[in-house]
Amino acid sequence: MLGVADACFLIDWARFRRRELLASLFEAILIHEEVLAQLRSPSAIDFASRLLARGALRLYPWSAAEEELFIKLRDEVALDPRIPSLERPDLLCLVIAYRAGASLLTENLGVLRVVQFHPTFSRVTAWTALEVLEHLVYGGLAEVRSVEDFLGIVSEYCEDTKHVFSSRRMREVVERVRTWLAK
Amino acid sequence: MAGKVRPPPELVECWEREDEEFRELRRRSADWKFIEEQEPRVRLALLAYIETGDRYLAARIAGVTLGEFDELRVKAGIVCIT
Repeated sequence: MLGVADACFLIDWARFRRRELLASLFEAILIHEEVLAQLRSPSAIDFASRLLARGALRLYPWSAAEEELFIKLRDEVALDPRIPSLERPDLLCLVIAYRAGASLLTENLGVLRVVQFHPTFSRVTAWTALEVLEHLVYGGLAEVRSVEDFLGIVSEYCEDTKHVFSSRRMREVVERVRTWLAK
Repeated sequence: MAGKVRPPPELVECWEREDEEFRELRRRSADWKFIEEQEPRVRLALLAYIETGDRYLAARIAGVTLGEFDELRVKAGIVCIT
């Protein structure tokens, strides 16, 4: 499985005590050089550098065709006031995820909204850290025996990053984990 | 230029409810004393973040990078929500 990470995701995830598990979940995590340039905090730079050195994080070879796709997407959605934070680097990640068939790792609310309705880009699977934690469980990378165990890991993430999840997202993910545990 | 792709009204209504939930969580989590003590530009950026949840906008107001703004957000105790 391939992933594509944006800056907000990496900045937050780099603070998480279990951050090293991310590389075990993906065959490779792709990153655009403009996203890499956004990382300035020591924790995010340190984390990304180590992943790059191990080959777990790889620079994506951006093409002219993808630039055209980005421009079209930007023109379609970027000025809609109901969709916040649609900055170029995060939209580039969405284009990469679409082209590479990768899961998009993002904490950008605007991007998460675009994949909810866009006729082309709704094919992209977008995960916040919560869905990454969920898939760490399914992959046996984070051992949980109950929903409470899973919520304990989510609490660790929230504590380390000052990042919380919407009640809707929590309900949906907890329900899926509950179903998985019951199998 | 490509035409606009518009979200359906029911989705927009859902987002509006979500925005209100998120804004309230950011307001409640904020360390208001810390925010009041900041220089005007940083204070304004933190207030803009509380109201909009837009890290890019807030970083631009503060005149810092995305990562640097996030350090400020954490110091101010403001939760990020997705």
